[in-house]
Amino acid sequence: MMGAVSLVGHSSARAGTLMNSSEELIARARRGEDEAFRLIFDRYARPIISFIYDMIGHRDLAEELTQETFVRAYKNLNALRDDTKLSTWLFGIAKNVARESLRYKHRDSDKIGIDDDRVIELRDGKLPPDRQLLDKELSGVIQHALGALDHDKRLVFTLKVFQQRSYEEIAEITGSSIPKLKTDLHRARAEMRRRIRPYLGVGYEL
Amino acid sequence: MNCENYKSLIEDYVDGALDQKGVRDVTAHLDSCGACGRFREELVSEQRLYSRYDRGLEVSPALWSSIEARIKQDRATPASGLISRMRERMSGLVAVPRFSPAFAAALVVFAIGVTVAVMSFLNSSSRVSTVATNNPDTNHGDVQKAPTRAPSVPDKTSDAKLPVAPAPDNSKTVKVNRVAPRRNATSTATLTPAQLVREAEQKYVTAIAMLTRDVNKRRSQLDPMLLARFDSALSDIDKTIKDTRRVAHENPEDPIALQYLLAAYSKKVDVLREMTASTD
Repeated sequence: MMGAVSLVGHSSARAGTLMNSSEELIARARRGEDEAFRLIFDRYARPIISFIYDMIGHRDLAEELTQETFVRAYKNLNALRDDTKLSTWLFGIAKNVARESLRYKHRDSDKIGIDDDRVIELRDGKLPPDRQLLDKELSGVIQHALGALDHDKRLVFTLKVFQQRSYEEIAEITGSSIPKLKTDLHRARAEMRRRIRPYLGVGYEL
Repeated sequence: MNCENYKSLIEDYVDGALDQKGVRDVTAHLDSCGACGRFREELVSEQRLYSRYDRGLEVSPALWSSIEARIKQDRATPASGLISRMRERMSGLVAVPRFSPAFAAALVVFAIGVTVAVMSFLNSSSRVSTVATNNPDTNHGDVQKAPTRAPSVPDKTSDAKLPVAPAPDNSKTVKVNRVAPRRNATSTATLTPAQLVREAEQKYVTAIAMLTRDVNKRRSQLDPMLLARFDSALSDIDKTIKDTRRVAHENPEDPIALQYLLAAYSKKVDVLREMTASTD
């Protein structure tokens, strides 16, 4: 399990330079400034590892594949044609890395297993009264429902709902047409809705 | 438009992905349709649930450390000269595509073919020039005393590490010179190795331009992941071509530098051919 430190210990100078534009950071990284690439990592590590985790469902593997994503990005910085699309490009690499891993590990099915012990099957629609436990269980159910989606639906659902990417960005990341993305997203939402429906209206209506 | 059709639009409405006209249209429908109004409320509730999704993930400092270590490892190159660095780059290139055994075999065969051909040109040119300059009237037996390699060619141990063909057989080389030394003298004595390579390079550039045009027309037919890998391989090859061209320019008489340059071009041709074949 990973350490519970999130971007801790970074200097205030680094925090200040987080305002650097992506284009500027890319230019500096291309010139060989390691600190610039570190800032790119700081900015995008969390969304990338979350995205990969949603795609593959395994914590340790998600960390490993995030590492691979950033190493590939570093090696191919010169291949980035539009510096304003750094995050889209990174998600594209992460998508490829995750898919390669899935192809290798799950040749027979594009559904994924979840390694999280928080996944709890619903029984008779009865939910634990404790809100914290409910949150934990809800996250497990969402993960489980995500894992049951096929690859294309999981991809578009994750990018749209969790990463809040536009259809145009998702089309660039996935290589799919926008009409196909909309169809997949609509179906993914319906499948997810069916699985999380018992939680709708239970302690979450604000 | 019926309510089922509106559902997709309502999803976009909740996502904020509709234009102004779409928003007006959906708002008007929601005002008049209770079922769709309830669907919208359900979507908003779902969004609230999803916003509470906690993966329990953290970005550990060890993650950056491992990335940094890999980057530094990748950047580290032996400081034993340009040829060594080129050799490493070329051996990496062979590993880059990894698309199919057939492709790998084709790469090797093609590279060997090109290299043997060019080295044969280079060697014969070098020999004939020597004969023509130093021994214009001697018989063919003197050819055996002429150098069969340029002075800068490393020993056999180094040759064994080259990415292409083994060194040509000396007996065959001598035999070739005995058969047609005069013809070679008239056809190649006026060309330097650098000129020969420039000719070959021009042919490669032309072939690459044609293949690239063809590939660009077919890019949309390629699997995005495969396309990304092809592009990555091409990017690496372009860097190698740039490096090897610079070294070859600085060392125009060095057959190894020229050999690497042509091998890099041949690999680019092969990757482009493979891209084209992948869409057939």
